[in-house]
Amino acid sequence: MSVEIANVHPTRLELLKLKRRKAMAEGIVDILKKDLDALTVALFDLAKEVPSIRRQMTSGLSEAYDLYVESEMVVGPRKIKELSIIAQPTGFHVDIGERKGILGISLPTFELAKETSSELRPRFSLMDSPAKLDASASQIEAVLSKAIELAQIEASMHEVLDLMAIKKRQVNRIQYKILPQLDSAIRYIELILEETERQDAIRVRVLQRKRKERALKAG
Amino acid sequence: MKAWKYKSIMPKVLTEKHRLIEPKVIKDLVGRSPQDIGLALADSTYRKEISEIPLKQLSSLSLERAFVKSYMRTCMEIMHHSPNDIAFLLSSILMKFEISTVKTILRATEANLKIEEVSDLLVPAGSLNDVECRRILANSQTVNEVVSALSGLEYGPTLRESLEQYDRTGIFLFLEMSLDKFVCQRLWRSAVNLKGLDRKIGKTIIGLEVDAVNIRTLLRCKMLGIDKGQTKQNLLPVSDVFRESEFKAALESADIPSAIATLSKDAEFAFARDYRYVLDDILEEYRHSGSLPQLELALERSLLRVSLRMLKRYTPFFNIGLILTFLTLKGVEIRNLVACARGKEGRLSTKRIHELLIFP
Repeated sequence: MSVEIANVHPTRLELLKLKRRKAMAEGIVDILKKDLDALTVALFDLAKEVPSIRRQMTSGLSEAYDLYVESEMVVGPRKIKELSIIAQPTGFHVDIGERKGILGISLPTFELAKETSSELRPRFSLMDSPAKLDASASQIEAVLSKAIELAQIEASMHEVLDLMAIKKRQVNRIQYKILPQLDSAIRYIELILEETERQDAIRVRVLQRKRKERALKAG
Repeated sequence: MKAWKYKSIMPKVLTEKHRLIEPKVIKDLVGRSPQDIGLALADSTYRKEISEIPLKQLSSLSLERAFVKSYMRTCMEIMHHSPNDIAFLLSSILMKFEISTVKTILRATEANLKIEEVSDLLVPAGSLNDVECRRILANSQTVNEVVSALSGLEYGPTLRESLEQYDRTGIFLFLEMSLDKFVCQRLWRSAVNLKGLDRKIGKTIIGLEVDAVNIRTLLRCKMLGIDKGQTKQNLLPVSDVFRESEFKAALESADIPSAIATLSKDAEFAFARDYRYVLDDILEEYRHSGSLPQLELALERSLLRVSLRMLKRYTPFFNIGLILTFLTLKGVEIRNLVACARGKEGRLSTKRIHELLIFP
């Protein structure tokens, strides 16, 4: 869309074309600014959820830790430490998908998918561990799903921020590069056209004077 | 009643019972650091074991090891003054600690831990003294090697049998379960081996202890949604009051309260009033709190009450009631002391620590 003055033909047609392009560029800037506003609102909506999820995660982790300590208090720290060295970690993976967000951009979705085996077995010796340890483990799992929810929001925020940066660059390019170039090209053509008009007017006046002089000589 | 056989054991147990720490003193220890607790217990029965720990190394873990060693020492002292049948029961109680040591060795080997990493967890007990534990750990690279190193001991055959299952499935729990079953069967056998009133008291207290483990397992499996086949594998086989069919019926109940109610009804049919008291206590607690951890706490409290009830129901002398009650009280005391130390280390509030303590 850039306009090089050297390549501009100083014609009325070109002037009209450039004015049309300028109007269009201004229209695009308006649209881009509206997009930016919409993206900013979406970003704030996403950001608003983060502190509450972080708080839930912190309180969940602290509750899980307290339950873990309580389980050590009930059966002794020795047994719990022993169980922890052989307990199989819970298998899980995160399903990554896509959803349509604001302005039709695709935002990532993360979903916790636990590995389910056909036979559900106790993870550790039931005789050596108290129910508080189960409660602590299930609390950690609840926190895990919150962590994944938080990751989804942060990934969406990254997408929105990336798009905002692109839009901002586009607005800046049009506002600070293309529009000034168009303005200067239009001014240049207008100057050239004015100059041509002035030359034409002088030429007409010279011709009229010469015609009058020829008429006087003939008469 | 052959009262004469208690002539030296009863004074010993009574002396030890009087050395138990007062609940008020334990309540005062809440909120104090493990170092403070260690110093506060300097003139208690735990003095010998605590004095072996450097002050800087006093933690809930080291204190727990000291308390367990002290418990075993006391139990062995009582055993030396006991007649044969009671000595066999006490050796079964001590066997629980030896089995715990075996589990530690097996777990450490399964997790490929070095001896230095396990030394904090290891409490040598019975035939597994410190040197023997270290020798087994140093010479065994796999669980199979540990099992063959232990094959000459009483639980060797049990371990070998479960090793086949472990080799086939790779599930470590099979080894642990076989050891738990072995020790419970031995405990039950030693309770049945007693005579007269001792037998009656022993069967009630030991039977309830074993069945309490089964009740806990059953309710937890129900809560975790573990299938019936798996749950049955985790149940201990010994019970005078509940048979397999009764546990099966409880397993098929709709929810936890109805499972407890089913077991309570079975206990009523078996004329096991102490079982009913315990089950009614935990049912009430669960209906009130709806929490399994709270239920487990109520179960522990209830078991302690049963032991104390035995002292009131029968004469405190000339029967095994006093010995078993003392050991229960000592176990609860250790549990409370460890809870105080760990609670403070874990920065729990004093209110929460108080809630988790058990007092007679």
